[in-house]
Amino acid sequence: MEIRPIFSALLRNSAGAILVSLQIAITLAIVVNAVYLVKQRVDTVSRPTGLDEYNMFSVRVTGFGKDFNFHNMVREDMIRLRAMPGVVAATPSPQVPLSGSGSSNMWYSEPNEKGNKEPMNYYEVDEQAIAALGTQLASGSPFAPEDIEYREKESQAMPRSGKAIISKAVAEKLFPGQNALGKTLYDSQSQPLTITGIIEHIHGSWVGWKKLDQVMLQPMVGPGPSVQYIVRARPGELDRVMSDVEVALKKAYDNRVVGKLHKLADLKRRSYSSDTLIVVILGVVTALVVVFSALGIFGLATFNVNTRIRQIGTRRAVGARKLDIVRYFLVENWMVTSAGVIAGCMLALVGGYVLATHYGLERLDLYYLVGGVAGLWLVGQLAAWQPSRKAAKVSPAMATRNV
Amino acid sequence: MFGYYLRLALASFRRNPGLTALMIMAIALGIAVCLITLTGYRAAAHNPIAHKNDVLFAPAVDSWDPEEPYDKDKPWRQPDLLTYKDANALVASDIPDRKVIMYKVADVMNRADGGMEPESIVIRATTHDFFAMFETPFLYGGGWDQKADQGPEPVIVLSKEMNEKAFKGENSVGKSVRWHDHDFRVVGVLADWQPAPKFYDVSNGAFEDPEQAFIPFAFGKQFEMGAAGNTNCWKTETIDNFEQFTQSECIWIEVWVELRSPDKVRAYREFLDNYVTAQKKLGRFPRPLNNGLYNVQQWLEFNDVVGDDRKAMVLLAFAFLAVCLINTVGLLLAKFLNAAPVAGVRRALGASRRDIFLQHLVEAGVVSVAGGVAGALLGLGGLWALRSWYGRVIEDFGRRLPFEPSSLVLAIVISLVAGVLAGLYPAWRIGRAAPASYLKAQ
Repeated sequence: MEIRPIFSALLRNSAGAILVSLQIAITLAIVVNAVYLVKQRVDTVSRPTGLDEYNMFSVRVTGFGKDFNFHNMVREDMIRLRAMPGVVAATPSPQVPLSGSGSSNMWYSEPNEKGNKEPMNYYEVDEQAIAALGTQLASGSPFAPEDIEYREKESQAMPRSGKAIISKAVAEKLFPGQNALGKTLYDSQSQPLTITGIIEHIHGSWVGWKKLDQVMLQPMVGPGPSVQYIVRARPGELDRVMSDVEVALKKAYDNRVVGKLHKLADLKRRSYSSDTLIVVILGVVTALVVVFSALGIFGLATFNVNTRIRQIGTRRAVGARKLDIVRYFLVENWMVTSAGVIAGCMLALVGGYVLATHYGLERLDLYYLVGGVAGLWLVGQLAAWQPSRKAAKVSPAMATRNV
Repeated sequence: MFGYYLRLALASFRRNPGLTALMIMAIALGIAVCLITLTGYRAAAHNPIAHKNDVLFAPAVDSWDPEEPYDKDKPWRQPDLLTYKDANALVASDIPDRKVIMYKVADVMNRADGGMEPESIVIRATTHDFFAMFETPFLYGGGWDQKADQGPEPVIVLSKEMNEKAFKGENSVGKSVRWHDHDFRVVGVLADWQPAPKFYDVSNGAFEDPEQAFIPFAFGKQFEMGAAGNTNCWKTETIDNFEQFTQSECIWIEVWVELRSPDKVRAYREFLDNYVTAQKKLGRFPRPLNNGLYNVQQWLEFNDVVGDDRKAMVLLAFAFLAVCLINTVGLLLAKFLNAAPVAGVRRALGASRRDIFLQHLVEAGVVSVAGGVAGALLGLGGLWALRSWYGRVIEDFGRRLPFEPSSLVLAIVISLVAGVLAGLYPAWRIGRAAPASYLKAQ
């Protein structure tokens, strides 16, 4: 291989090569870090929620006035909603999964704050909750209508039926290696609840919370005067059901306020907006920066070929094959790319370190660096291919001509 | 001379339209991405009350769990809210020139005469200094006085939007609205007021709307209303009624104080330390003594309003701009060297090195200005696209990514600096080329 002469030739006219190397170095640093950030966000956003969120919506209703009976309103609304065509199920709940607002408290596997302890995001719901959330029970059964307590006054007491449905993720942490169904768990004041159902998988309210999948359902409707209804529609009928429900709820009572209806998919999009925004912007930047690097390599190779037409002709005239010419330019380009890639590795690691320490992002995974290096080598060779072919087509007769 | 260089530059662009377009596009995309990320950064980094930054302070005391800090990732951090007891003690001090104690409550507003569509709204229960401290602009009337705080008198200040809904925008001072089934007399209506970030309370998102109305703080307790914002508790204690809740270790109240001199700041810090030390003797505040007194800027940083993501994005955007610029330097170099024989002829005819340098610098400058303008347009287009996409699901998205004329100016300035930087080396290089070698080859 003619590495030495290619290297000497590069050194004689190094400005362009240095620029392209520099460009590749920064490109590698950007691409590796950006792809890593994007990958994490995409993974986060595309986690299964365990909910049928694309067929669900929520609406807040708030009663007011002296002789307003909150529990009658909830009961009547539930009967009304469940009778409507296209509605699969409905439940009252103070908060809505994926919405960003919720309540949580700590639970223990033994009384007196002993045993395993885990926080859970809890929802006070009625007997249709499992169906209305579109989630699956791994074992146990949903709440029965007679389990639901309609509480008159705010208090910390547990629901009267003493039942709870919890998610499998937290059941396995509280009772590792055991079947949690039928077990009792305790809050910080040692109030017991019996696990009568285990949800296979479900996401709670705060998408940024590490324990997002630790959820508890309690069979209760609070004293009001405000609550949300979570309604699940048959696939494809969400929009129609939403407008029907809005009309029906507004018509039913004078002394209450019906808030805006929110699709759960929209609440989810809102909760994940900062993640998707990063994916969009960094995705575009990554694609563009790779294209620009390819263009830079292409430009440099073209320039080098154009300024060396006579030399190429001479080489051809004294016996070099077309393959030799192509190889010369590809090797030259490979050397430029490699210089850039080596500098880029350091830059990428420094960049990853800065992002990790100063901006609290996760440390760069080295596999991404390996992938980035291989990718840029490939892009470099592809970008130099066309100019190299053009060089190979230079006729040996060019050696005798003035350019 | 400049006009002549400009004509030469335009002629040069016509010779290589593709290459020129590529350079302009490279700069434009670099600028556009920087513009978008900078807009997001600047929106969050903005201080809406910068001129009072050094006199407004949010006190913070660490009343949290002895077992673990409030924020496990940042153990030095105090809780961002106060207990009812502590908040009342902190505003009882007579050191501050002004002080405010407050939280958010939510319920239905309507009019006794049925003149408005009932609506569930969020109200700020606060004290009379709120309006003067945070310089809220009034359309009609004003705030209330200290006497109204103590009564409490049923007075209310409406936001402009709420006044539109309740009274169709007319001067409603003296009229009455019902909220939580009680009559409140309107004493003031705010003009447009939308500080972004919402510096005085960022606990439910830094860009959320200010509250729809304001009533005296004492009504919160009188009506036994829990917070419509965040409530966090750590201690095992029996809470069966509102009175017990106000005596609990749960945090849900905000306090701000106005301290107009460094002496007062010092005195208030001392007051905080004395208060917590005294409480420790009573068995409260089990964690080490750790009090904070944050001015507005520090408070926004304490609450991580800018967010690490936004900073990282700006960093990556500028790295991207660097790639675009290096690309442009390479392309300009190739373009200039290709046309070197022309420069050689001009040198031979008497143009100095400086002339050749300036001529090529002008050419680079034109490319960068064109790139800057295209980049600004592209950036605005990108902002518009993001806003129309996210604005559907996020009401306050416009405030997170606002159109700022100053960002456009910034984009143009960046492009000019970038263009000159990109043109400097190629222009110098071509200016240095010896004319003889090019003439010989012709």
